[in-house]
Amino acid sequence: MIVAEAKPLDEIKRLVADAEKILVVGCGTCVTVCFAGGAREAAVTASMLRMAGRLEGIERQVTDVTVQRQCDWEYVDPIADQVAAVDLVLSLGCGVGVQALVERFPDAWVVPGLNTKFMGVTLEQGVWAERCAGCGDCLLGLTGGICPIARCSKQLLNGPCGGSIDGHCEISAETPCAWQLIYDRLAGKGKLDALLEVQPPKDWRPARHGGPRQIVRDDLRLNEAEVGQPAEQEA
Amino acid sequence: MRENGYLSGSNLERVLRAGRFAVTGELGPPQSADGSVIREKAALLQGACDAVNITDNQTAIVRMSSIGAGTIVVQEGLEPVIQMTCRDRNRLAIQSDLLGAYALGMRNVLALSGDHQTFGNHPAAKNVHDIDSVQLVQVIADMRDKGVFQCGEAFKGQEPRFFVGAAAAPFAHPLDFRPYRLAKKVNAGANFIQTQLIYDIEAFKGYMEKVRKLGLHEKVYILAGVGPLKSPAMARYMRDNVPGMLIPDAIMERMSAAGAPWAGKEELSKEDKKARSQAWREEGIKITIELIQQLRAIEGVAGVHIMAIEWEEAVRPIVEGAGLLPRPVLEPAA
Amino acid sequence: MTDQPTLQIVAFCCHYCAYAAADLAGGLRLQYPPSVKVIEVPCTGKVDVLHLLRAFEHGADGVIAAG
Repeated sequence: MIVAEAKPLDEIKRLVADAEKILVVGCGTCVTVCFAGGAREAAVTASMLRMAGRLEGIERQVTDVTVQRQCDWEYVDPIADQVAAVDLVLSLGCGVGVQALVERFPDAWVVPGLNTKFMGVTLEQGVWAERCAGCGDCLLGLTGGICPIARCSKQLLNGPCGGSIDGHCEISAETPCAWQLIYDRLAGKGKLDALLEVQPPKDWRPARHGGPRQIVRDDLRLNEAEVGQPAEQEA
Repeated sequence: MRENGYLSGSNLERVLRAGRFAVTGELGPPQSADGSVIREKAALLQGACDAVNITDNQTAIVRMSSIGAGTIVVQEGLEPVIQMTCRDRNRLAIQSDLLGAYALGMRNVLALSGDHQTFGNHPAAKNVHDIDSVQLVQVIADMRDKGVFQCGEAFKGQEPRFFVGAAAAPFAHPLDFRPYRLAKKVNAGANFIQTQLIYDIEAFKGYMEKVRKLGLHEKVYILAGVGPLKSPAMARYMRDNVPGMLIPDAIMERMSAAGAPWAGKEELSKEDKKARSQAWREEGIKITIELIQQLRAIEGVAGVHIMAIEWEEAVRPIVEGAGLLPRPVLEPAA
Repeated sequence: MTDQPTLQIVAFCCHYCAYAAADLAGGLRLQYPPSVKVIEVPCTGKVDVLHLLRAFEHGADGVIAAG
């Protein structure tokens, strides 16, 4: 899932400073699971903004609503009226959610309430860790299912570097060395031979370095007739 | 390979090919644009080493570029080994910098991943790591041997012909994989290897035994890293904080013992402190000389790489003490 | 602070203990400031941070969750 974290209240206050009517929009998917931008966080944020406004002598109308997924039109369309009724939308979605609201409601002013951090797992309650960098060309099949792009501080394809010690990375004792993990995993499966081959330089084009990415699946796209008005087709 | 049989014709390559025990040093460029610092350090190393490594933003602290400083070193008549990290440049920048370095007279390159930028003075920097050190070795070797850029396009004109070096950390983890990682660098095309600082000779002998079993010592010149300790505190710091740094108790004790005459005194005068520091440094140099002699006796060790960090003055006495002066003067490659 | 009757305090009290205690206090004719507003909850585990915030938003100076 996408893991995010709330922005500091002071920063949110600055982002909403000019607004009198604010709609806080939570998202019911990834950011709910990581306790950053679900219904509860949206309600708490709205309450905090109301109180913060009152302490500054500003009577703000702050309401909140949470949609199942901010990144899908079908879920954001139903809040169109609420969005139209406010000066500012504070999105507690990930960066995708914020931009989906901007695209769907171009007249609205939408600001982010979260910092989107990474794609990762919940290791334990309150602890999340990055697992995928979305490089667009998955190499987990080579590395025993442990990603050096997301988890090695230097994104080495022929690791580990000389900074690997006692299972952790040179950058901190709290950061596991991805290549130690890869080594242990392959050793355990009797597949260490896979590490002897020199991996060539990676093609980073699928990884965003070839420009913003988009996927077009012609097998799934609707044809022109299907996109048109069904009523007209019938007529 | 060229007609003269040399890959690059660098002095370091010629010394190693002649079967002489090679000595490389290290020259850290300043955190300024002052070229005179390079000239002063070069003078200290002149005649004591076959080539000197010019570090590339070592410990991720911005310094004069290795190629800029290397140009001055070439002017001073000393041979540089250009260190090139993958942290700060993508494959375009790396290759173009290497073309420039070759045109400016540089003939040796050491390919490194680079210390992580969070250690340095620009921790907020974005790192690159487009390619890694093993791939960099391959890129530089292919430029020379296949006459192609990394993308596969052929050179239109002179290709850069470098003697390609790589680093090895024999005691970093996972220990069992270290000889194999060295093998990867050799397979990628490394011609010489400079190791992390070695203080534990027994452990290094074990590593070299595995290296020999893989036959690597016959395919690559291995220069063992050595460096004089300045004080017991420095030794402790390195042992406890630098990954893969083994310093045996016997060496720790020798460093402490060197300062023993001042140990009991309650308050040390400035002169006392100076004398103690002097005693420590002398012991550090002595230990380094002994280490070199022990390393030289290990089969497959083709030379030493002396890392005297901000203490270039120590190099000449070490090389002299180890009986490695004068350095061989070989006819330039045809 | 508790001596100042003007301070508005909202007390979320557990049905089984704190609320029962308040009931008993009433039975014993013990006094507590009228500015303390008791809200009975089935369990203080049910008290949500939103309840606390809502109390503050409506002018409470302090909130007690007693259970």
